[in-house]
Amino acid sequence: MAETRRSLPSRIWRAIPPGIRAPLGVVSAVIALVWVVLCLIGPQITPHDPLAQNLPLYQPPGVDTLLGTDELGRDVFSRILAGAQVTVGLALLLVVMSMVVGSVLGVVAGFFGRWVDEAIMRFTDLVMAFPTVILAMVTAAALGASLFNAVLAALIVSWPPYARVVRSMVLSLRHQEYVASGRLLGFSPLKSIGVDILPNVAGPTLVMASADIGTAALLLSGLSFLGLGAKPPSPEWGAMVSSAVRHFDKWWMGVFPGLAILTVVICFNFLGDALRDYFDPKGATR
Amino acid sequence: MKHLLPKAMLFAACTALLLSGCGQSGTSGTQAAPASTDQIVIDTTFDMKTIDPGREFEPTAQMLVKAMYDNLLTYGDEDTSTVVPNLATYTANEELTEFTFTLQEGRVFSDGSPVTADDVVFSLTRLTGMKGNPSYLFDGVTVEKIDDMTVKLTTAAPHPALPVVLTAPPLAILNSKVVQANGGTVDENDAAEEWLNANSAGSGPYILESFDVRSQAVLVKNPNYNGPQTPTFEKVIFRNVEPATQKMNVERGDSQVALGLLGDMVSDLADTVKVDSVPSATTVFLIINTDPAISEVTAKPEFWKAVKSAIDYDGLLEVAGSGAIQSTGAVPAQFVGGLPESSRLKRDLEAAKTAAAAAGASGKTITLSYANDIDPTGVSLQTLAERLQVQLAEAGITVELAPAPFATEVDAYRDGKEQIGLWYWIPDYSEGNDYLPYSPGQWMGLRVNWQAGANPAIEALAAELLTTSDPAQRQAKFEEWGNLLLAEGPYVPLLQPGSNVVYSTSITGVYYSPTWIINAAALGVAS
Repeated sequence: MAETRRSLPSRIWRAIPPGIRAPLGVVSAVIALVWVVLCLIGPQITPHDPLAQNLPLYQPPGVDTLLGTDELGRDVFSRILAGAQVTVGLALLLVVMSMVVGSVLGVVAGFFGRWVDEAIMRFTDLVMAFPTVILAMVTAAALGASLFNAVLAALIVSWPPYARVVRSMVLSLRHQEYVASGRLLGFSPLKSIGVDILPNVAGPTLVMASADIGTAALLLSGLSFLGLGAKPPSPEWGAMVSSAVRHFDKWWMGVFPGLAILTVVICFNFLGDALRDYFDPKGATR
Repeated sequence: MKHLLPKAMLFAACTALLLSGCGQSGTSGTQAAPASTDQIVIDTTFDMKTIDPGREFEPTAQMLVKAMYDNLLTYGDEDTSTVVPNLATYTANEELTEFTFTLQEGRVFSDGSPVTADDVVFSLTRLTGMKGNPSYLFDGVTVEKIDDMTVKLTTAAPHPALPVVLTAPPLAILNSKVVQANGGTVDENDAAEEWLNANSAGSGPYILESFDVRSQAVLVKNPNYNGPQTPTFEKVIFRNVEPATQKMNVERGDSQVALGLLGDMVSDLADTVKVDSVPSATTVFLIINTDPAISEVTAKPEFWKAVKSAIDYDGLLEVAGSGAIQSTGAVPAQFVGGLPESSRLKRDLEAAKTAAAAAGASGKTITLSYANDIDPTGVSLQTLAERLQVQLAEAGITVELAPAPFATEVDAYRDGKEQIGLWYWIPDYSEGNDYLPYSPGQWMGLRVNWQAGANPAIEALAAELLTTSDPAQRQAKFEEWGNLLLAEGPYVPLLQPGSNVVYSTSITGVYYSPTWIINAAALGVAS
């Protein structure tokens, strides 16, 4: 894969001795799975109502309130559980959408070549030329602060890498003999893409996507942290960290949502790297 | 995925901030409570645009101007209810339309030149002539020099609040020769602001050494000062510091006074510091738009009633923290014109539900707008708004929160575009007259599109109050006006946040003032 710069978790992954990468990948996969499950059932299993303001304010972590309470008397643990649906759920949605948009454009560009390729790739370059966070912030601010707009803004900045990677794979596949013979047999472009190209592109793209879920969560909670995403009283993790900054003497209010974000980012990244190692052993030491 | 490093760094920075909790390093090192009178460090959250007395209108600037300039009249340090002479003594005629001020002999500016009637006339005409934010304070007053040491102020109608107004820092007396030499004029061509942000030209106990509107102001003792104050510290440093960092600094001895702690931060302070929690004179309230074009629902008086009785005021005080009290009405309880405690609004959920239904609020979502990047006097509007949302929901009023930065939201507020707004009012001077613009047709009323003629009884009382001079009559009329506004107005007075002044046990003379927060010249060292 034509990556020139790797994300921070990916570089950490490269620094880990190959011998313990596989077990670490399994651990990451388990934690990632736990978050995905919580994303589905989190709101149903909270010990307290995540929006109810009926507990004493600023309770430190204890027996009844496992991770303490916040400035309005809401249970931090319940809010993190409920927030998994917002943060992880939307991150999954975002990655799927980026993958679909990026892959479609990448396949079209790679398969049809010439001016179609030029047009799509120059547009991709244009989007990638902007600093991601700044572009996402500008988009979200222009559209108005809401979770939907934050996802839209994140989508606008996160599809180009897929387009590039998919295009480069399609370019090399296009001249393979089995693709050419398919075309000679009278396959329409659509059939050729569907039968001969997509199955070969899907694997690496999915691996790339799995490594992206964590960073998508980071981008979305970052936008919420800046006040451009989830609106209060939503238990979005970035928004929780944001309101906790005012109260850093009550450390539990910010540390635990921060740790939730950290585990999601690290685990999904490690999972993605482990999958890549598994499917592409030659590239593992790069 | 590429380009993720900046995001990672952004988050790392936020986390680092969260964990370290130490944004600022102290200028005074980590000495314990000092017995030295060399300098004192005061941490606060800067709310200030300029320190030109004729233009400033924000709390931090009021505090700095108070330390560098003298007014004709002022308040005592401990007793903040009686106006006392400062640069001048005065007599007034019986109708309270003519006030004659006699300047004290021998008072001098920081350059040694005497304070004369010319300086008074220049300073007060400059205030109105520049048409800056505080200019309206002196509207309708003409100032005239009788002789070098005598000045006469005249108003068309009786102006019982004038002595109180004269204590406000924007009405400080400037050295006219020095200010004029640096671009000062008495009209809108005045160009002295820049110079006054780098130098001071007053007769107060301190002079300006350096000033950065975003980070720090340093004042040093005025060697020529010969007024009634006895400043202790050679140097006073005001720093702009995040609230949670202020707490650490003052506990560690990095600073001696912290003025910006939030109400909920003062419950667990170290024993090296003391805290004075008193209700501030800042009022926090809801405004409800009366224009059906903005919202059919909020325009209905039943809806105003529903909101007033839906709110659990004690629940708001819980999140507002130490020192906060429930408002009694539009005017702060401690001012002339304030209502007694018995007037306070109370929660009545059944009445609220009935009124909300009558206003057609069911199934409708009302937008509650507020600024989420400011903490007026230590209470977070964000936190209050989240609590209000839950309380209103219990009465069947669905509210959507619309936080925005102050700089963008304030225009919607001033232009009367908000359905419901959560705002605050810091007094310009300590008197009920300051709050009469809540009446229909006046500038505050227009922020909810409450046009002139909407409530003739309130408007008539407001007009009478402007010209009533007898104190007992004033209080009676104010109570009538205030109770009517409370019952029939589109405003919901919520609370007065606590003012939490935290200071080292070695410091004395910390007296909270609603207008200038604290007087730096009154600070001293405990023996």
